[in-house]
Formats: sequence, structure tokens, C-alpha cells
Amino acid sequence: MTGCEFGESPDIELYFYGELDAASRASVEAHVRHCAECARRLDDLETIRRALASRPRVDAPPAGDWSGFMSRLTFRLKAEATSASSTSASSWLPPSGGRKTSLHRAAPWLALAATLVLVTIAAVLTLRSRTIPGATQPPAATEPAQPSAAGGDPLLALSGQHLERSKLVVLGLATRDPVHTSSADWEYERQLAGSLLSDTRLYRRAAEQRGLNDVARVMGDLETVLLETSLGDHTDPESLERVQQLIRKRDLVVKMQVIGGSGI
Amino acid sequence: MNGGLRSSTDPDLVARAAAGDPSAFQALVERHRAMVYRVAYQFAGNHHDAEDIAQDVFLKVYRSLDRFRQDAQLTSWLYRIVMNACIDYRRRHAPAGWAPFTEEAETRMLNAPEDGPGPEDAAYGGELGEVLSAEVSRLPAGQRLVFTMRHHEGLKLCEIADALGLAEGTVKRQLHAAVHRLRAALTIAKVTTGGRA
Repeated sequence: MTGCEFGESPDIELYFYGELDAASRASVEAHVRHCAECARRLDDLETIRRALASRPRVDAPPAGDWSGFMSRLTFRLKAEATSASSTSASSWLPPSGGRKTSLHRAAPWLALAATLVLVTIAAVLTLRSRTIPGATQPPAATEPAQPSAAGGDPLLALSGQHLERSKLVVLGLATRDPVHTSSADWEYERQLAGSLLSDTRLYRRAAEQRGLNDVARVMGDLETVLLETSLGDHTDPESLERVQQLIRKRDLVVKMQVIGGSGI
Repeated sequence: MNGGLRSSTDPDLVARAAAGDPSAFQALVERHRAMVYRVAYQFAGNHHDAEDIAQDVFLKVYRSLDRFRQDAQLTSWLYRIVMNACIDYRRRHAPAGWAPFTEEAETRMLNAPEDGPGPEDAAYGGELGEVLSAEVSRLPAGQRLVFTMRHHEGLKLCEIADALGLAEGTVKRQLHAAVHRLRAALTIAKVTTGGRA
């Protein structure tokens, strides 16, 4: 302690940030003129300001590309709109008199949502239909899973469909022989995994928000495996083995079957 | 964004979006996404989490369109939402019971930095701005948010307190603690780099 009347009080910072009234400001100014310690505190703040100002400001996704951000946001808005139209008490609806307005607002998103789901399914099916010499084709793409016991909840129905598609990819990864898997095959699996990643993340987050903890956990495990698969730089056997270990460690195939068999 | 929407005021866009016009909502997002992303990135320190937070913000905006007061400033409303989204995001990824602004948490936070290299490590690797930026990212979440909003975004402490539902004194203490740690990092950086920093 220096015996300075401001000691460790926040007044110097508050002065620096223009948060003091006129009288307090004058008091600090008078004090700083004869207190070297507080003058140094002010100098430090100015140094901090200049140093941080020299750093680049990040106000956009990498490379300034907003397209992924916007499409994911649009997807989430549509998922909400879908949910709102099928539930009688959606949490985002205004407390009173707002349902009609909100549903009205949701209508354009619903049309877009249907389109997006179709595009997503088509993209996965297209990837699956690619012929890669020597590649072992995964099991034939199935029809989208029926919502069955999903009780008509669009999120559960879509999650179920997504898990069905993803299960084929996970099974393909789990059963490949790392030593005899060509780079082309491995690259193919990585493309498939990458194509499922962002949707998995969306479903995981939607499930978390809805309190569907079991679904969220499985989606989280799936997301981890897809990330490990799609983001690796290498197509060597060790990378595939690591993914397979991860699948075994998370017991992912069984979990997906259990969740899938539970009616979603 | 088409020309008509580009020249529309924020309240106009909100009204049209609330009435079900997706292009109006998209225009709102395009107009304000840079600010939202910037705050989210300053808080999170990486693109992955910044995107999650920014997406949460716009979802909350969408859910609340009906409640926006036409005489209010949209940016103030957005700042309020983005600050709370940052805290919510941190809370969802924190151990059970985590609380950013209670008195007990305040005390704990003074000595509980986030993971990451300390100022000594950072000082070896870069200039002063980099060192301090790394230290900002190590601040506990409450301090980091208050510092970001005051230092980078220029909000008054009373506005931050109001947005977060806190007493102004609490926000002042968070700022004070943040500045204290940055000054400590500055001192270490100067010593470590022999005054080069």
C-alpha cells in the first residue's frame, strides 16, 4: 500500500472510462498530478487501450464468408417454425395473442424448411450413389425413417431420419479394414461424415433445448465421431483406427440403435 | 438485401419481420450480424463458439420480435440479448452451479482464470497486443464480458448492469478486477520482453 488515497479503488479506471461525475473527475485529476502511482495506472490503461486497439477486430466468420452462418441460422429458424406449427404451447410464442402472429410469421419458413430437408436428403443420397473404384458401398440408402412413435413431433421425426442416415456412415467406418482401405475410400467416408456434421450439430442443439437428453447425448457422440472423421488431415490407416476406437469407446453404434429403436 | 429493405429503418424491419416477412428478418440479420459476431468473438475467442453465440442471439431476436418496443434502439436491445447469450452459452458449458456474478463467484473469479497460456508464455510469443488479448481471453467470463462491453463496445457501466440485471457496483467491481489483471499481465510482459513489448 502506498498510502495513496485512491489505493486500490476503482476510481482511476472509472475516470479513464469516463464514468465519474464532474466533481469526482476533478478530484482524480488533481490527485494524479502529484501521485506517481496513480499516474502510472492511467498510463498503463492507455497502453492497454493502444495495444488492444492494434489487434485486428474479428467481426465475421473466417474469410468473411457468411454463407454457412446464414444457412445454419435459416435452418434453425425453420426448425423452430416447424416445431411451433405442431405444438400447442411453443415456448417462443408471445404470452398472449401472439400465436396467430407467430404462426403467420412461421409459414414462409415452413415452406423453406421442407425444401431444405429434401435438399439435405438428396445431398446425402447423391454422395452415397457416387461410384468410387474399389470402394465398398455402404448399405443401400433407405427411405427416410418413418416418424412412427415420434408422436408427430417434427424434431423427433427429423432426428430419427438423420440418425438412420448417419448410422450407415458410422457402420461403414466401424467395419472398414484400416490396412486395406484405400485413400479414395477413406476420402469418401470423410466426405460423407462432413456432409452430416452441421445437421448433427443442429439436431444436438435442438434436442438440448427441448430437454431430450438421450437424443442430445447420442447426437453429441455422433458429432464427435463425424468431426474426428471429417476434419483429419490424413487418410492413413492410423487415422481410421482412431475413429474406430472412438466409435467403440462411445459405444456409438449400440446407442444409435437403442435411440433409433426407442421410437424416434 | 434489396434496395427497399436496405433503406428501411430498424423498427420498420422489425415490424415487417414480426408480421411474417422473412426477407425483412434476413435484412435485420445482415445489418447487425457483424456487431453481434464481434462481441461474441471477443467473448468466446474462437469462431466455433462465436458462431454458436451469434446464432443464439438471432434466434432470440426472432422469438422476441413481437416484444420489441418501436421507440427503443435496436442496437441497445441487441446488446442486451448478446450479453445474456454470452453468459447463457458459458453457463451451458460450465459445471453445474456455475454463476458469473454472485458475490461468492466474484471472489472466486478473481483467482480463477480460464484455461490458456499465461502472460509469461504469451509474452515470449508476440507483441503486447497479443499478450493482452490472450489475457483478456483468460479473464473469468463475467469480467471478460464487462470489459469487452465497456472497453471495446463503449457501453456505459449502467447500461451493462441494466442489460445483465446486476447492480452497477457489481459491474464496477468486475471491470476493476479485469483491469487489475490486465495491468499485472502488462507488467509481466514488460519484464519478460525486456521492455520490447
